[in-house]
This record gives sequence, structure tokens and C-alpha cells, in this order.
Amino acid sequence: MRNLTTRVVLLLMLAFLVITGAFDYVRLAGERDRLVVVAATDQRVFAETLALAVRRNVWRGRTTEELQELLEEIRLRPGLIWVAIFDPKGEVVAAATAWDIPAPAPADQAVTLALERREPISGLVEEPQGKALRYIQPFRWPDGRTAAVEVRQGLDAVEQEFARAVRERIVYRLVVLVLFVLAILAVTRWSIARPMRALIQGARALASGDLTQRIDVSRADELGQLAEEFNRMTQSLEQAQQALLEQSEARLRLERDVQQSQKLVAVGTLAAEVAHEIGTPLNVISGRAEALARSIPADHPERRHLDVISSQTERITAILRDLLDYARPRRPQLRAEPLGPILARVADLLAGRRRDKGVGIRLELPPEDVQVLADAGHLQQVFVNLLTNALDASPPEGTMRVTHGPEPLLPPEGRGGVLRGKADTPLVAIHVLDEGPGMGEEELAQAFQLFFSTKRRGHGTGLGLPIVEEIVRAHRGEVEILSVAGRGTEVIVRLPVLALPAEEPADGTAAEAPRTGDARA
Amino acid sequence: MASSIRILVVDDDPEMRVLLAEELKREGWEVREAGDGAEAVLACRVARFDVILMDKNMPGPSGLDLLPGFRRTCPGSRIIMMTAFGDVPSYVEAAEKGAVDFLFKPFRIDDLKAAIRKALGLEPAPPA
Repeated sequence: MRNLTTRVVLLLMLAFLVITGAFDYVRLAGERDRLVVVAATDQRVFAETLALAVRRNVWRGRTTEELQELLEEIRLRPGLIWVAIFDPKGEVVAAATAWDIPAPAPADQAVTLALERREPISGLVEEPQGKALRYIQPFRWPDGRTAAVEVRQGLDAVEQEFARAVRERIVYRLVVLVLFVLAILAVTRWSIARPMRALIQGARALASGDLTQRIDVSRADELGQLAEEFNRMTQSLEQAQQALLEQSEARLRLERDVQQSQKLVAVGTLAAEVAHEIGTPLNVISGRAEALARSIPADHPERRHLDVISSQTERITAILRDLLDYARPRRPQLRAEPLGPILARVADLLAGRRRDKGVGIRLELPPEDVQVLADAGHLQQVFVNLLTNALDASPPEGTMRVTHGPEPLLPPEGRGGVLRGKADTPLVAIHVLDEGPGMGEEELAQAFQLFFSTKRRGHGTGLGLPIVEEIVRAHRGEVEILSVAGRGTEVIVRLPVLALPAEEPADGTAAEAPRTGDARA
Repeated sequence: MASSIRILVVDDDPEMRVLLAEELKREGWEVREAGDGAEAVLACRVARFDVILMDKNMPGPSGLDLLPGFRRTCPGSRIIMMTAFGDVPSYVEAAEKGAVDFLFKPFRIDDLKAAIRKALGLEPAPPA
């Protein structure tokens, strides 16, 4: 039996049946005896009355026929088997039977005994119709001797009465049993099954790893206590898990920081060495190119080769500069800075290049009182890199967007993403969105890798985003790149914010942006 | 006036030396070359230079090691150091040891010439 309620009900039913059964058995046995006694008493009274009547008739000299008539009158008394009058010699003077059965011809031993002793005799006899009570009542015959009447009465009525009592009792017990079972069911359901189910569900949730689950059993009994203990255990587990998570997160962060700084040291060392080694040959090349440029006029057909040499050496220099920039130990001078002006400055800085390409910009700056603890120069570097990337990715006549707000601008459908760092809250989120070709999963995964670039060969150093990540991390912020292929790329920089606007959350999109510039060229 | 200006170029890289010498001679300046610190010291013993253009990275004693010696043996020479891009610590050290200017490789030849003129207190070159 897998159901506790069923088991409890069955056990209680069994106990109920045993107890009430024993009780009823004793009760009914007593009832039967009582019924027999009642019948016997009734019979005695009847026999005594009959004996009196017969004696009076005999004494008045009534004939046998008249006595027979008297008996015929009482023949139909319920339960009567037969009735007979015996004279002092034990001969039947008159007799009447209820059915077509022969009246007893001679007196039997009991009648003879009653006549001799002049005492009534009662007893139980076996008749063909079933058990029967007999009662022999002696009376005085006119000659002074003793005669008797005998009444034999079947116990049918008693048996019927008894059977009826048994039936009644059984019906009564069944009704009580049904009510009892219903009551038990209701009680167990309410007090056992329901809280049990809650406990089972809670345990299941716990087993599946949901530690936030609590069991709602507000009771003072053992199940309530069990639920309470269970909840306490779950809470402890949750806290332990939380602590463990935080620990491992902190360790991960530390490891990453250590790795990051090791990486920086390695890159820095390498970059410095490379710079030392190639500085001189680079200088020779650029110097020779410069010298040649002096002697070859700008409109000479071969002059372009020289220009390529110049621009390519400049590119190598740029890579070196970025590399050293990236690896240079940065100790940000953190001060409370309003974020808006930094963004505005960066947008201004790139306005010329933007206009050359014919790309527009929608600038929605956060309110003036959104301040971050930051090194303005470093943050400026971050947004220069991001806006440069957006500009490079933008198609001609496209529009870049710089805005703030908690939700990404790109729809979630088909959107890939990569996140670096973990921002403290409360935070402000700045979005830089372009309408470029977007990036695939593979490109996204590599976006923050050193020297990875999606730009045309010769146009990216692959250091912009690593620098962004480095600076944003140093500001206890995070940077996320979202991209939908064919639709564009969105970079979100989230920085912990110092001062919150009075009415609205820091990164809630302001109903009215304080400064919206549309500088489409 | 140009003929009176004497420049010593100290660099272990012959190509660089040749480039610098050729370019500076085009200005009408007199240029001597030295491939390492020892040669440079020798050159200083036999002649007086207005400007010593010295690379920081050389086999043997580095340009920074040689700086104080030059300051003693030829106190009249203005020393301009050259070093790799981003080598800021060397820049600080060189300034402390008496270098008048500092160039990060790769630099433009025009920038070098401007630096030399500045070191000598000459007027900037007229636009080419």
C-alpha cells in the first residue's frame, strides 16, 4: 500500500470492526436470551391463565366438547404449536394444534412428573418446526387429584425478532462505519495527506535544485514542525549555495584579474621588446621613404608606391602604439564624473570622420546628474574605441546611435552576445549601436581577443576592444556586445553610478532626453 | 652658417646611421658616425660636436650609460637621445642625465631636424 491515507483508513476500519463486532456479538447474545426469557414469561402467564380457566370449566362440570371448544378459541395464538389438557391419569382430555399436526396422545415423562409433584415445569424441546418452549401448569381436578395443561410455543417469533435485531445492528454498523471512514478520510486528508503532499513537492523541488522553494504548512503539529525544519534546511542550503557561488565567483574574478594582469605584463614585455627591435628598421624605412618623397613629385605615376610604404609604416607604428597603450599599467585617477559630457566630447572628436563617411548619429545623453566614479581620460578612450568601431561598421548614409537605458536596443530574435566583467549596482548602461553587418557567433566569441579584428586588413589593430574591456573592468563595470547578423551591433557599457537622478532610476530611459543631437551630415 | 655645425650620430644599426648621416648632410651639416659607445668616445676625443645624436639601445654600454661621460668630456655638446616607442622611463632618465631632447623611433626626419635646430637655438627651417 503506497498511500499512507489508505493504510491508516484500512487499519482504523479493521480496529473499528473488531471492537464493534465483539461488542455487538455480546449485545446480541444477551438480546437473544432476553427474548427467550420474555417469551417464556409470556408463555407462563398464558399457561397459568389457561389452567385457571380450564379448572373453572371442569369444576362447573363442562363436557369434554366444551373444553375442546375453549382450546379451539386460543388455537391461533401467535407462535403456538399446540395446547393440551391432561387429566390426572395423564390422558389427553382436549387438545388443539396450530397446524395439521397430531396432538400428543399420551403424557410424556415431563407431564407425569408435573402431575406427581404438582409443580409447573418448563423446558426447551426440539419440534419438527424448530425449537419450542413448553410449559406444564398443574391444576386441581374436581376429585382432588392433579391435572395439567401444557402449552407448547415455537421460538419462531424469538428467532425472527433476533434476526431483525441482527439485521438492524448490521445496517446500523455499516452506516456508522461509512461515516467513520468518511470522517477518517477527511481528517487524514486534511491533517496528513495535504501537508504530506506539500512536503513531497517541496522535497522534489529541492532535489531538482530549486533551493528557493519553501513549504507552506502553518501547523503546530509534527508535520508543521517537519515542514519548518525542512524550510530551515532549505534555507541553510540556499545560503550555503549562495556563499559558495559568491566564493567561487570571487575566486574566478580574482583568477581572471591575475590572468589578465599576467597577460598584460606578457603583452607589455613583448610589445616593448618588439618596439625596441623594430623601431630602428621602421625608422630606416620611413626615413628612406621620406627622402624619396622629396625627389618624386606628388603627381609622379610611381609616387603611390611610396605613399603605401609610408602609410604601412605608420600602420605598424599605430599597432605598436596601441599594443603599448594596452599593456601600459593603467592606474585610473578616479573622480566623480558626469557621463554625458564625456560622451558628447567623444562624439565631437569623431564628427569629422563621421561626416566624411556620411554617417549620422543619434545622441541621447544621460542626464547631467548621472555621475560615475571614473577616470575621464580612460572612459573617453573607451567610447572613442567603441564609436570608432561603430563608425567603421556603419554603411555610408547609415546612422549610429548612442543612448542609455536598461534594455538592449536590438531585438532578442537571432541575437548573439558576449559579456565581459560584472558591474556593481546601481548602474548606468550606455548603448552604442550601429547599422553595420553585425557579427556571427564565432566573431562575437573572439571579439575581445587580442589582435582579433573584423575590419579590412590594415584597418584594425585588434586592440580596441581589449582596451575597452580592460578599462571598463578597472571601473568595476561590464561591457556586452550584442549583434544581429545583417542588422547591426550594439555595445553596452554598464558602469556603477554615483549619483542617481531624484525621480527616475539611473538607467531608466528618460521620457525626455536632456540632450538629443541629430548631427546627420 | 650651416658648415660650422658638427653632428655625431651614434647608432649600432649601420642602415640607420647611413640614413641619418645622409639626411643631415643634405642640410649642409657636418656629420660623423659612430657604431658603438667606444667609437663615440674616441670621436669625441678628437673633435668637438655641437650635437650628439645617440641611440639608447646599443651593445655594450647603453646610450644612457654613456650620457654622463659625454657631459664631462664634451660639455659643449647637446645630446639628443633616440629610443624605441613608448620607452618613457628612459626618457625621464635621459632628461635627468642631461639630454636636451628625446626622439621615439620611428620618427620623421623632419622632426629630427627640428629637434636639432631647437637644441642649437636656431630658427625653424623654412618650409620646403
